[in-house]
Amino acid sequence: MNAVIKREIQLQIANRLGHVFEQREKRPLEIVPTGVSEIDHVLDGFPRGAITEIHGAASCGRTSLLHSTLAAATSSEETCALVDCSDTFDLSSAARAGVSFDRLLWVRCNSNLENAFKAVDLLLHGGGFGFIVLNLADMPAKTLRRIVSTWWFRFRRAIENTPTVLVVVTPVACVRSCAAMALELKNEGAVWPRADFFVTEEEQRAPASKSEPGSSHLWLVPANDRYKIGCAAVHHSHLLQALTVRVNRERPLAGSDRTVRFAPHTHLDCIR
Amino acid sequence: MFACIHGRSVSKSAADSGAMVLTLVELAFTFSPLVEQTSADTIVLDVEGQDLLFGEMAVTPNDESNVMSNIANAIVQRANHLHLTVNVAMAANADAAIHAARSFKGVTIIDAGDELLHLGTLSIRSLDYSLAAVEEKRVGEFHETFALWGVRTFGDLAKLPLPGVAERLGQEGVCLQKLAQGNSDRRLNLVRPPVGFEQSLELEHPVTELEPLSFILSRLLNQLCANLSEYAVATNELRLRLITEPVRTPLAGNRTQPAGGVRTECAHERTITLPVPMRDSKTLLRLVLFDIEAHPPVAPIIQVVIRAEPVKPRASQTGLFIPLAPEPEKLEITLARLAKLVGPENVGSPELLDTHRPDAFRVKRFTIVSANRKRISDRKSEIGNRKCLLGFRIFRPPWHADVQTMRGQPMRISARADSSRRVSGKIVCASGPWHASGDWWRADVWARDEWDVAVLDPTSPEQEVLCRIYRDLSSEQWFVAGIYD
Repeated sequence: MNAVIKREIQLQIANRLGHVFEQREKRPLEIVPTGVSEIDHVLDGFPRGAITEIHGAASCGRTSLLHSTLAAATSSEETCALVDCSDTFDLSSAARAGVSFDRLLWVRCNSNLENAFKAVDLLLHGGGFGFIVLNLADMPAKTLRRIVSTWWFRFRRAIENTPTVLVVVTPVACVRSCAAMALELKNEGAVWPRADFFVTEEEQRAPASKSEPGSSHLWLVPANDRYKIGCAAVHHSHLLQALTVRVNRERPLAGSDRTVRFAPHTHLDCIR
Repeated sequence: MFACIHGRSVSKSAADSGAMVLTLVELAFTFSPLVEQTSADTIVLDVEGQDLLFGEMAVTPNDESNVMSNIANAIVQRANHLHLTVNVAMAANADAAIHAARSFKGVTIIDAGDELLHLGTLSIRSLDYSLAAVEEKRVGEFHETFALWGVRTFGDLAKLPLPGVAERLGQEGVCLQKLAQGNSDRRLNLVRPPVGFEQSLELEHPVTELEPLSFILSRLLNQLCANLSEYAVATNELRLRLITEPVRTPLAGNRTQPAGGVRTECAHERTITLPVPMRDSKTLLRLVLFDIEAHPPVAPIIQVVIRAEPVKPRASQTGLFIPLAPEPEKLEITLARLAKLVGPENVGSPELLDTHRPDAFRVKRFTIVSANRKRISDRKSEIGNRKCLLGFRIFRPPWHADVQTMRGQPMRISARADSSRRVSGKIVCASGPWHASGDWWRADVWARDEWDVAVLDPTSPEQEVLCRIYRDLSSEQWFVAGIYD
């Protein structure tokens, strides 16, 4: 009954104002791979012409995912821009992840949030960038919650019908409904080398046993068994082996929340 | 009708000689656009049609010799103003004018048909063989032949029968005879007029605001870009020169300083280098305005001069499978706006330096490099085979930390960047120390012991923060380098 009344009202209004209630046909979203096979297997990638939000607490894998995505994008010769609000982009780890700096425009904003948003706005309206990242990972959650929604609406409006991917990295979810995809990352625990060993630089190939507390070696606190994943079989003594993160896929793309685990790989040779 | 200017004031100095040649060419261009530089000291110009300019002074305007005389006198007068001593010859034939200018001092007027009358007495040695395209090595041979024949002057050569000359000396001999007769027929090898892509405007009133200046710049740049389009070139460098009102205060940077507090005019000069050649006046105007805004002159502007460096225009073809990239013109404007917003040192393409020093990098100008299909596929396969590596966020500058240690090992940490950003709590996992040092041969030697630690924050017990901390061995202080993320 309601549908019939609604249809009649729409017809009457259509004679005067046109088909204002008709929804615009949305073209299918083009997807850009993230560079992390575990995530691409589930999500296919980040949508073009839309905002993607990656949020999570410190050490949850946001930067690892970001580096992988930038590496995948720059390897495809996409022109990328990174608006680094807190100036925390580490070039060494990004280079190891495979990011090509020739295709990357780095804008440092020295913790000035307003400048960061203005810079993103300029880049979006300049056009031609395949990938734009707004890195707010180190900004306080309190500040981010105060960001007025008009900024996000403005970005969403500027980016639609363009081939640009806008990724916002934040500690807390703040883009709200303007994000076409929101990924929540959680650290399920770091995997450490064998916990019952002391680790030193000198003895990394022949670790001392826990039964030598008098030595000047560091005793590693045992990692919980549930944190250990497949690749935790360590052959060297450096601390961080992997992080396990969880990714939730949220509105407005169809599909329920899913959880996927990926482990950023760390190798001693890569770190030092 | 041709005029030939032969400079007599040739300096022994090569630099002075070069300057004189340039002056002679410039002098010739003030009379005609059709100019040939025959040799370093001889310029020929086609003055056909100049009677409209120089015929008025003639007693009888139709008298061609009077017009020629007026033109020749005007050339000599202008040369005198330029401190040049020149011979000027006017003739209906260019080569006759050249020989006359080189041989007779002052002004020589040769009416049409009187060439042999004037040139006939000249020595055969003053004949310019290069005008007949005779090779240098054959000049001596011709000299010998003419000496054997008893040919001493232009007149002697001119009177020889043409079939005999052609039979014995060939086509070159015929050309030489025509030169001697003043009947040669050749086209001038024209010099391209110097193209100056420069626009300037002197202002009636000094300009202090950017908005009125933008209208002036817009007008000049429009004209400049029109000139560039006319010659099918673009520019990759703009030189802006703003002449300002006299100021007493000493100036800094690239501005010329007035001497000893005397009020003198100052020139504010800026060079805007473009990554790609362009000639879009709107884009150039925006870039110039951004630059002036970032580096304003110190006094009101009284004159504006813009010069463009002409280069070959950009030609590029995009491919169907090459990803979209920003248009160079738009990108330049975007970069200029970003530089204005956050500072030029904070915008660009990062580059790691070839050193072990932590966080050593530089920011270079961001430019779009053309995509290469093969390189794309190579890099894609390389990245595809690569595992996701653990990322790191570095703190600039590193946070100062208070670290409690037990037997040299960190047990508890408290570090704070500001009221909202901090790392503090019990260290539940640690690895280290990893000793790193370098640059021992420099004053800023660095040495540190690094630790990778997991910090359990008491405010959120379930959350571990994985940090890299280090102890600076020179200051014995602890710092947080960054966070693994």
